[in-house]
Amino acid sequence: MYALGVAIDATLITLVLALAAFGLAIIFGLIGVINMGHGAMLTAGAYITWVCQTNGVPFLLAVLVAAVAVAVIGLVLEHVLIRHFYDRPFETLLLTWAFFLITTEVIKIIFGPEFRSVTNPLPDAITIGGIHVPAYRAAVALFALALIVTSAVVLYRTSLGIKIRGLIQNRQMAALLGLNIGLTYKLVFMAGCFMAGLAGGLITPMLSIDPYIGNVYLVRSFFVVAVGGVGQLLGGTMIGSFLIGGSETIFAVVSEQAVAQTIVFALAILVLRLRPRGVLTPR
Amino acid sequence: MTTTSSAIPAGRAGRSRRLLTENAAAVAVFAILGVLPLLFGGYVIYILPQYMLYGVLAMSLALMWGYAGILSFGQAAFFALGGYTMGLVMQAIGAPEAAYLGILVAATIGAALAALVGYFLFSAGVRDTYFVIVTLALSIMVEQIAVSQSQITGGWNGMFVDRMDLAFGPLGAVSLWDDWAIYYVVLPVVALVYGVLRWQIQGPFGKILAGIRENEDRMVALGFRTPLYKTVAFAVSGAMCGLAGALYATHASFVSPSLGGVLFSTEIVVWVAIAGRQSLLAALLGGIVVASLSNYLSSVAPEYWQLFLGLLFILAIVFFRGGVAGVFAQLGRPRGGE
Repeated sequence: MYALGVAIDATLITLVLALAAFGLAIIFGLIGVINMGHGAMLTAGAYITWVCQTNGVPFLLAVLVAAVAVAVIGLVLEHVLIRHFYDRPFETLLLTWAFFLITTEVIKIIFGPEFRSVTNPLPDAITIGGIHVPAYRAAVALFALALIVTSAVVLYRTSLGIKIRGLIQNRQMAALLGLNIGLTYKLVFMAGCFMAGLAGGLITPMLSIDPYIGNVYLVRSFFVVAVGGVGQLLGGTMIGSFLIGGSETIFAVVSEQAVAQTIVFALAILVLRLRPRGVLTPR
Repeated sequence: MTTTSSAIPAGRAGRSRRLLTENAAAVAVFAILGVLPLLFGGYVIYILPQYMLYGVLAMSLALMWGYAGILSFGQAAFFALGGYTMGLVMQAIGAPEAAYLGILVAATIGAALAALVGYFLFSAGVRDTYFVIVTLALSIMVEQIAVSQSQITGGWNGMFVDRMDLAFGPLGAVSLWDDWAIYYVVLPVVALVYGVLRWQIQGPFGKILAGIRENEDRMVALGFRTPLYKTVAFAVSGAMCGLAGALYATHASFVSPSLGGVLFSTEIVVWVAIAGRQSLLAALLGGIVVASLSNYLSSVAPEYWQLFLGLLFILAIVFFRGGVAGVFAQLGRPRGGE
């Protein structure tokens, strides 16, 4: 009974974390940019959702608006700064970090440091095997699963996916074969930002929003991607999320939340050291 | 940081001239800092030692980022660790000499943790970009532990630390309660740290670090055990942060979890990026000047100041890789020099 509760909890947390990390996984895995602004994009998505909802926009539409808005912000960032630095990963890391600083400040200026909360559209609980599960959390988890599987299908079963994968494998050859590299990079970057905004909007009913909620999600998302294996969008994100989020849930049973997170971060660093290319990739 | 970056003028003559000017500038800076308490009093003299310790933090980052080419977002973690260590040691041992032990232990713990994390990652050849995130995680971990283990650290309320005395064993002790007294303790320590670091950086150690920054594979091929050098650099950097943290704690008489946090770590990176990462003096001044300006302007226009810093940071990365110091070096360079 108790074990089932922990298992359900771990599954939900895994899937929600996978959703939060997915935008980072796309950008890092496909075009090699560590988007340090990922956390700020989640936060921006959350705040835009909050603004829309307080102005009477239905929740799902609000989330969609947030995702599109963050994608547009991402497009501007990519076009003005990032595209000039694709061959210098370290510079893109610093620039996206600057984006994080500026976005967080702008959010603080506009909304102030107070906590905000979004009304939960599905406040009820459903019962699985005698365990009460918040309906909204379950819905988001299912959505995350669907989203990641769909993205994997696009990447591995469509011609757009073939183009993107070809680009990753050999940029020069892809260009010679007539692929518009700049445009494809832009699309991928925007897709990642869209996912970040979407995740930011969807997590809002589960926690209270402040300008720094993205901070911890950035590091967690990064560890999800690094532990799962960069570029392993489907399996890597899932396994990484399970190892980071799931184990945090399990450790949180025996110790405090903050200690559990510290243990998990330490374990993630250990994995980075022993398997720098992720647990899925053979050494 | 695999691409080359050079704020170094071409030719032996140019280099020695710049060397001379930086040494002269350093002497001037420390001389000015030395006479300031004679001209000013009150708040300026109270707060300056803290900014000088921020300067030490900035130098510790410049050593890693500017010389070895490895960016760390975890300097604040070592700083906070040093501060808490100082507080705990002084609490545990009542004697006035405990302060020395506290400083020593703080620097040692900073060095040890940095060496541990550094060797663990560098020896496996973990990518520089991963190192950034690991050190960022380190900051988050220290902050969270400081908050959650409140029975030891006081949690969000922070921890009070006594202002240390300058004890001379049986000869008695000099109280440092006066702000100018502790000013003249902190200043020589900062000057000493700068001097020793600069001396080492000019020597073989600095050259090896620069070699690693410019082309690590080549350094490996030349037979250098690069993980070892990177680890030593990070350990020195961690020790500097621990030392600065300990002195900061006893000066401010207070440590709080936010000293180890991500935001403070980020500020250090911004100071160094704007001031110039390849000059220790620039980093030191960056810490002092940007922190003072932050303090002043955050009372005038708090939000916009942070925004402005962010924009400056972008400009520094995109256009002025050497920061303000790099711009000066560029101006001083003879025409057609490179």
